[in-house]
Amino acid sequence: MTKKHSFLLEVKDLAQHFGGLKAVDQVNLCINEGEIVSVIGPNGAGKTTFFNVRTGVYPGTRGESVFCGTEIRGKHCHDIVCRGVARTFQNIRLFANMTSLENVMVGRHGRTSQFLLGPLLRTKAFKQEEKEIEHMAKELLEFVGLKSLGNELAKNLPYGAQRKLEIARALASEPKLLILDEPTAGMNPTESQDLVTLVRKVRDRGVTVLLIEHQMRVVMDISDRVIVFDYGVKIAEGKPKEVVANARVIEAYLGKEGA
Amino acid sequence: MLIQQLINGLTLGAIYSLIALGYTLVYGILTMINFAHSEVLMLGSFMALGLAVALPSIFGGGPIGLVGMFVLSMAGAGIINVVIERFAYRPLRHISRLAPLISAIGVSIILQNGVFIWVSTQSLRFPEPVAIDQVNVMGATISTLQIIILAAALLLMAILHFFVEHTKLGKAMRACSDDIQTAGLMGINPDYIIALTFFVGGALGGAAGVLYGMNYGSIKYNLGFLPGAKAFTAAVLGGIGNIRGAVLGGFILGFLEVLASGYIPNGAQWRDVIAFSVLIIVLLVRPSGILGEKLAEKV
Amino acid sequence: MNKLLHHKWTPWVLLALAAAFPFVAGAIEANYLVRVGGVIGLFMLLGLGLNFTLGYAGLFDLGFIAFYAVGAYTTAIAMKAGAPGALALVLAVLVTLAVRALLGLTILRLRGDYLAVVTMGFGEIARLTINNLDSLTNGPKGMQLAPWRPLGFLSADPNVQYYLMILAAVAVSCVASRRLEDSRVGRAWIAIREDEIAARLSGIPVREYKLLAFTLSAAFAGLAGGLFAQWEQFVTPESFVFWESILVVSIVVLGGMGSIPGVLVGALVLVGFPPLMQWKLSADWINYRYLFFGLILVLVTLFRPQGILPSSRREAELTS
Repeated sequence: MTKKHSFLLEVKDLAQHFGGLKAVDQVNLCINEGEIVSVIGPNGAGKTTFFNVRTGVYPGTRGESVFCGTEIRGKHCHDIVCRGVARTFQNIRLFANMTSLENVMVGRHGRTSQFLLGPLLRTKAFKQEEKEIEHMAKELLEFVGLKSLGNELAKNLPYGAQRKLEIARALASEPKLLILDEPTAGMNPTESQDLVTLVRKVRDRGVTVLLIEHQMRVVMDISDRVIVFDYGVKIAEGKPKEVVANARVIEAYLGKEGA
Repeated sequence: MLIQQLINGLTLGAIYSLIALGYTLVYGILTMINFAHSEVLMLGSFMALGLAVALPSIFGGGPIGLVGMFVLSMAGAGIINVVIERFAYRPLRHISRLAPLISAIGVSIILQNGVFIWVSTQSLRFPEPVAIDQVNVMGATISTLQIIILAAALLLMAILHFFVEHTKLGKAMRACSDDIQTAGLMGINPDYIIALTFFVGGALGGAAGVLYGMNYGSIKYNLGFLPGAKAFTAAVLGGIGNIRGAVLGGFILGFLEVLASGYIPNGAQWRDVIAFSVLIIVLLVRPSGILGEKLAEKV
Repeated sequence: MNKLLHHKWTPWVLLALAAAFPFVAGAIEANYLVRVGGVIGLFMLLGLGLNFTLGYAGLFDLGFIAFYAVGAYTTAIAMKAGAPGALALVLAVLVTLAVRALLGLTILRLRGDYLAVVTMGFGEIARLTINNLDSLTNGPKGMQLAPWRPLGFLSADPNVQYYLMILAAVAVSCVASRRLEDSRVGRAWIAIREDEIAARLSGIPVREYKLLAFTLSAAFAGLAGGLFAQWEQFVTPESFVFWESILVVSIVVLGGMGSIPGVLVGALVLVGFPPLMQWKLSADWINYRYLFFGLILVLVTLFRPQGILPSSRREAELTS
C-alpha cells in the first residue's frame, strides 16, 4: 500500500478555527482514486466543517489541501468545482422553483462557456452547447432513475428523489471527487439501500466518493476505508472492520465506561 | 456657536434615537425592517394634532394636557403598529424574507396616501405645547421646547431600559429576540411577545412623531419618510437589533447632521446626502454596526 | 386560454395590435391615450430591466428609478452639448451601465433587506445630487432639450413617434430578456436566486453573475430614461422620486417575479389603470393611484405571492 504514487486528494494539517473553537484541527488524510471513503464521528465532531473547508465554503485557518497536485484551500467554490470536486448537502439544497432537468443543467455551468452574445444572437455554437447540456442532463437523470420526473419542479419531488437529484446535479460538473454529506439522513432502510446501490454505480463511473455518514450499516456496507473524527481531530483510519474494533473509536462513541 | 450646534444635535439625535428604537426592537425579534415605521411616526404626530384641535380645552396647553396628548398618541401609534403586524406581516412570517418587506412597503404607501387623501395634502401647523422661552447657557440659546424634547426622549428611554431589563415581559422580549423558537419552547407565546414588541416600538415612534411636530411646528403627510430612513441608518450604525446601539446611533447621526449643515459649505443642502452616504458606508464597512454582533449562515 | 397565451404567434399578434393602436386611438381621443400608452411602455422597459435584478437574480432594489434619471439626464446633457439624438441615447445607456456597475461593485456583497435599504439610500442620493448640482443639471428648475423627431415619416405627431420607438424598444427588450433567461446565463441567475450557496457549489461564480444581472438592468433604465427625456423635451428631479422606484418594484411583484409577460401586464395595469380611471371617472382619481399601488403590493404578497402571470418553467421533451 505504501508504494510511491500520487493521491487524488491529500490533506495536510488542515485546520478551521472559529475564534477559540477548533472545529477542525490537524487533519491529515489521503484519498486514492476510485475509492469510497466514509468519514464518521459523533455529532459535532467537525465532519461537516471539514467538508466545508474542502469545498471552499470556509477558507480554512491553516494547512494544505492538495487535489490532483494543486493546492485548493482558500480558492473560490466555483473554482474548486471546476477542478473536479462536487458535493451534496446535509440539508438538501436544490433550486426549488426550477425543474429537475434544469437543476442538473445548472450543474453543467462550470463545464460550459456560452456567455451573453451567444444566447442573445442564438449562435450555432450556443445552440450546439445547449443541446449538449440538455442531453447530458437527461442522461444523468436517467442514471439516477429520475428521468420521468424531469419536468417536475424540484420542490415537488419526494424526499428520496431530491437526494438523488442533488447527486445528479453534482455529477453534471464531471467531478473526479464527489463529496456526499449524509446522503441517507432521514431515509428508511429500503431507500438507504437504493442509495447505496447508486453510490456504487457512481464509483463505477470512475468517480471517487467521500461521504459523511451516520448509519453504520451503510458505512460498513460500502466503504473501502473509514476515517473517524472526534472533537475536530482524526482519531482513527482503516478498513471498516478494523475501525469498529478500535478502542479510541468505541470510546468516542460510547464514552470510557462503555469501552 | 459650537455649543449651540451641539444642543441642536442633541435634540435632533434624541428624536432619531426614539425612532431608531422602533426599528431595532422589531428587527431584533423578527429580523425584518418594519418599513411602515416611518408612517407610524407620522400618524403619531397627526393624532397629537387631532387631539389638540378637537379638544383644545384639555390638550391645548399646560403640562397635564401635554402628558395626556403624549400618552394617547403613543398608545394610538402602538396599536396601529400591532394591527399592521397582525394583518400585513404575520401571515408572511415564514414565507420568505422579501415578502414581509414588500408588504411593509405597501402598508407604508397606503398609510401615507390615506392621510394625503383623507386628512390633508398640505402642511398643517402644529400647536405650541407651552409658551416658548429662551434660556442662555454659556452663550448658547436653548428653548424650553428643546428642553421638553430632550427630557421626554430621555425619560422614555429610561422607561424602556427599565422595562426591558427589569420586568418579566422585558425578559421574555429579550429571550424572543435571542432565539424565538427556543423561547416558544420555554412557554413564552411568541405571537404575544411580537405584538408587544410592535406596540412598544410603535409607541416610541408615535412619541417621536409628537416631538418632531413640536420641533418643526408643522406636519405633513410625508413627514415620516426622511426621519424614518435616517433613523434606520442610525439603528444600523449602532448595530441593528441592539437597543443601546440604536440610541447611540441616533445621537451620532443627529450631531453629524447638525455639524454638517453648520460647518460644510452648502451643508444644509447636502445634509441628507451625507446621512444616506453614512448609511451606505456603514453597511459596507461594518454591517454589524458599532455594537452589533456578526452573524454567519450555517451550511 | 392558457394555450392561447403560450401560442407561438401570440407575441407577434400583440405587437402588431400595439403598433396599430396609435393610429386607431387617434380617432377616439387625440393624444391622451397614445401618451398613456407611451408611458406604459416606458415603465414596461423599467420593469423588464428591474426584472433582471429582482426577478432573475432575486436582489432587492428600491432605488431603480435613479438609473432612469441617469439615462434622462445623460441624454439631456449630451444633447445640450450638441450630440445628435441617437448618439445621446447610446451615451445614456453606456453611462447608466457604468454607474450601475460601479454601484454594484461596492454594494452587492450586502444581502436581502440591507441591499434594499442601501439602494433606497442611493436613489435618494442620486435625486438630491441632481437637484443640488445646479451647474450641470440646472437643479430643481429642470433642463430643456432640443426636439429630436426621427420618425417624422410615419406620423406628424411626436407622441405617436415616441410611442412607436418605445414599443420597438419594449419588443427588443422582451426578446433579449427571453433569450438570456432561456440560456446558461439565465439559469445561473435563477439558481442564485433560489439558493446562493448551492449555486456557488454548482460552479457558478456568484459574485460576477449577480453583478452582471444588476448591471444589465441599467441598460433598460438608461434607454427608457433617454427616450423619456427626448419625448418630453424636459427633465426635472421631480420625476425621479422614491415612489417611482416603488412603482417599478410593484410592477415586477404584481406581474410575477422573473416573468416577462408578468412585467408587461404589471405595467399595463399599474401605469395604465389610474389615468384611465382619471379619464373616464374624475380627475381626482390620480390622487388615489399610490394608494392603489400600496394595496396591490399588500394584497398580492398576502394572497398571490407568485404574481398574476407567474413565470412558468420551460418543459423539456423527455422521450428521446
